[in-house]
Amino acid sequence: MAETPTTDTATDTVTSTDAAETPALAAASAHARARAYGPLTLRLTEPAPPGFIRLTLGDAVTTAPTTPPTATGDAVRATSGPPTSPVIALPAWPDGATPSILDEYGAAPVPVERSGETRRVLAACLRACWSDLSAEPWPGVPASVADVLACYRALIGRGDDMTRSRAVGALRRLADTGWIIRSGDVVRLGPRCATWPPESHSVLRELVRRLPGPQAAEGPVTLPLDASTPPDRPAPLEAPEAPAASSEEAHPGHGGPAAAPVGARPGGAGRDETVSDLDGLLSPYDERRRAELVAAFMAVDHAAEPVHEARFAALRDPALRRTLAEMLARRGRTLIQRRDTWTSGYDDDVAARMASAPGADTGRRPGLSEGERAVLTLVLVHSVAIPRADGLLSEDTWLSPYPVAVEELRRRTLLPIGELESALRTLRQAGLLTQVKAVSEETPGGYVPGPQFHRLTAAARRRLQEELILAAGPQTPLATAIRARRA
Amino acid sequence: MSPPSRTVLRVPQQISRERRPTPSRPAHRRDAGRDPGPEALPETLDAALTDEAVLATYRRMFAALARDSGAVVDDPALVDIAETLFDAFAEAGEEWLTHEQMRHACRAHPTDRFENRLRVLKGLGAIREVFPKPNQLRYRASFTSVVGLMFIRRMMDDGGQSEMHRLLALEDLNAADPRTTMEEARQSAGNLARAFRLWALELITLTNGTIEELREQAPKLWGTEEIARRAQNLHATILRRWPDLDRTCTELRAAIYAYSDASRRAAGRLADSAGTTRNLTLLPAEAWRTFAQTASKERLAAVLDGFVFDAPAPWHDPAAIATAVDEAPRPAPVRPAPPRSPLPDTGPVESADGGVAGLDRLTAVAESTLGGRASVQLDEVLTGDWAAMRRVLADLTSADLRPELPYRLRWADAVTADPGGRPSWRSDGTLERVPADG
Repeated sequence: MAETPTTDTATDTVTSTDAAETPALAAASAHARARAYGPLTLRLTEPAPPGFIRLTLGDAVTTAPTTPPTATGDAVRATSGPPTSPVIALPAWPDGATPSILDEYGAAPVPVERSGETRRVLAACLRACWSDLSAEPWPGVPASVADVLACYRALIGRGDDMTRSRAVGALRRLADTGWIIRSGDVVRLGPRCATWPPESHSVLRELVRRLPGPQAAEGPVTLPLDASTPPDRPAPLEAPEAPAASSEEAHPGHGGPAAAPVGARPGGAGRDETVSDLDGLLSPYDERRRAELVAAFMAVDHAAEPVHEARFAALRDPALRRTLAEMLARRGRTLIQRRDTWTSGYDDDVAARMASAPGADTGRRPGLSEGERAVLTLVLVHSVAIPRADGLLSEDTWLSPYPVAVEELRRRTLLPIGELESALRTLRQAGLLTQVKAVSEETPGGYVPGPQFHRLTAAARRRLQEELILAAGPQTPLATAIRARRA
Repeated sequence: MSPPSRTVLRVPQQISRERRPTPSRPAHRRDAGRDPGPEALPETLDAALTDEAVLATYRRMFAALARDSGAVVDDPALVDIAETLFDAFAEAGEEWLTHEQMRHACRAHPTDRFENRLRVLKGLGAIREVFPKPNQLRYRASFTSVVGLMFIRRMMDDGGQSEMHRLLALEDLNAADPRTTMEEARQSAGNLARAFRLWALELITLTNGTIEELREQAPKLWGTEEIARRAQNLHATILRRWPDLDRTCTELRAAIYAYSDASRRAAGRLADSAGTTRNLTLLPAEAWRTFAQTASKERLAAVLDGFVFDAPAPWHDPAAIATAVDEAPRPAPVRPAPPRSPLPDTGPVESADGGVAGLDRLTAVAESTLGGRASVQLDEVLTGDWAAMRRVLADLTSADLRPELPYRLRWADAVTADPGGRPSWRSDGTLERVPADG
């Protein structure tokens, strides 16, 4: 790829591993990291690996007080480089196909927790942060949390405490997943907002135009016509499509005076895409095959559950499937088959490299926290290991129909209860746990391993079971045998 | 004292159930030998195998005490009867049990089998008369037999591993006891060496046998590092105290090493061949529960240290956002108040006191309509334009509806239609004055 000499230094975690790694492997690792830990943080001069959208945040982040980019929770790593890193990179969609394509194929995307509420709050953020509708939504301008909440109140027409606390919860979820960046009382649109394809901006533009502004929330909600044109903004253009599109192309990195942290457009913010990493594989195919490949790629990578091969030509046809596997490999992924269904998981080598370079220089592990991993282990023990020891589960899978009751986790483990609750929430949101509703007395509710466990490769499944045996029975001959084989 | 040898034949029902793949199968259905009906046969080969495995364990456990090879039960259901009986005795307390009560407790089992079983139990002294006199009606259970059951429970569960732990702990105490003689120490070391050798031999045989048998038996036989460590401690203690016993100790040491080695090899073969599906079954469910309940957060988290999972990355499509906004639960819009006159509103109070004046007016209207007559046809008086007509009609209807006024409207069924006239149709009606006292 073009960035051959520099990709080794693309991120600090890569540099700590093998210096002789190939650029393809480095790019695959970078993609895998972006998937596992959220958008990558780069230094200002670092190029992004192929297949990434590189976002320069501009100076808004650096000028605002106490605003490290780690405000996105675990999504963005704290770096040891410059105090705040103004560059974020996240994977580009192949051929502009977003996970929305799953709808066309009848595959369910990863479920969004409280989706309606979360999306309405995101709409309120857009209303507050997207000041110049002739430009792209990202980067927008910083807005105060109070303004966003006021927009949400105006949108919902209710201002009670419950609505407010739910909106705050939705803001937290949006910040955790990189859709917004929240630092203190200031909210900005997050890097994921830059991944909306330009064709879809008109939908958002229409939406924002008809949303009431923060001022509307003060009085009774009456005519949306009044509310949609707050006094400090010019009236919306009647035919904005053509000029908007042209202005996007003209200056994607729209700069402006950054006088105040709130309401001012950040200077130097910009968005550019690196060379596509998948084009080389897709270009030999005609339009239809290409679309099939992209659809299958999106389906295995983004559907909640494995997809059936009957629906995807690129999964049925061995030749196309080979290309699909190549595409996935460039992103650090591999195909996982289970009977007639397919999904994708981390390539074993890539995962091993990521695990062996756990950000030792930062002193903080990316990904799941210790408490979250502990809770996940407990669910695996109760819901898979024990039923299997009882002879109830025989298949080679880490999914299980036997839920563990929350009471069991709360009462009969050494975990602090507060930590347990928040860990369950995070794990549920990530699809690592699924909550099962109680059906009757005999089938009580609880938690089972979530759909992410479909994505474990055979080697990972085996390793997980060995790790569990080593932990639960370190003195047993079985553990000795495992250790001996690994040595 | 009842001979402990035979009392231990009563193996708890729970254990035989645990080993069955079909736990819901009622115990009394398991009678294969005597009642060859189709229902009584084990439903699957697996079930039959499991029954046989349980019996094999019974036989092995009591081989040392049996008088002949047929002395051990040949059907696990027979053990169920004993177990049920002991439960019943425990519940009865000092009331003891009569023969009828015992029969009732075992009502799930056929009479002849119950009687047969009871005869054996009585013959061995596990169930005895409360007082040894003729025609005794009440019976009690032997304490020794119940203790025997507890022992069997453990043996069935872990194949004697915990017994070995206890034995080693006891021997350790004995070896440290100043009263112990060298001869006793030699004997105990020799016994242990023999036990370890036999254990190791069985494991080696299993390791070379079928994988199914290995999977079934090995986890019960192989020793943990804990056992090996204890045994070595004991060995060291004996050797330190009686250096003359070094030959016995060498044998013990060799036996311990052989046993550890056989354990490791059996486990290694299982781990390699059991594949990804069955390995977790090699630790008993209890071990998993203990781990879940006692492991620290760090230890639990360490299991997933090397695993990479996806960060939550929900996709919010612009169209989905617009839909969510459109589907927002909207509160009922605030209904604007109807317009009010700016002038002060005196309210309905004054209009209400017009009651008497209203009655007077209605009387006047009715009287003028009647014109002195007692009754009048309405089509005579309803003339002129519609506005006037309907005013009069309304007043007359009001008067009719006032019970205190003596005027009534009587309507006939006929309707007169007159397309050219005004009104174009009317019902025939009469206004009449009724006597005030009517």
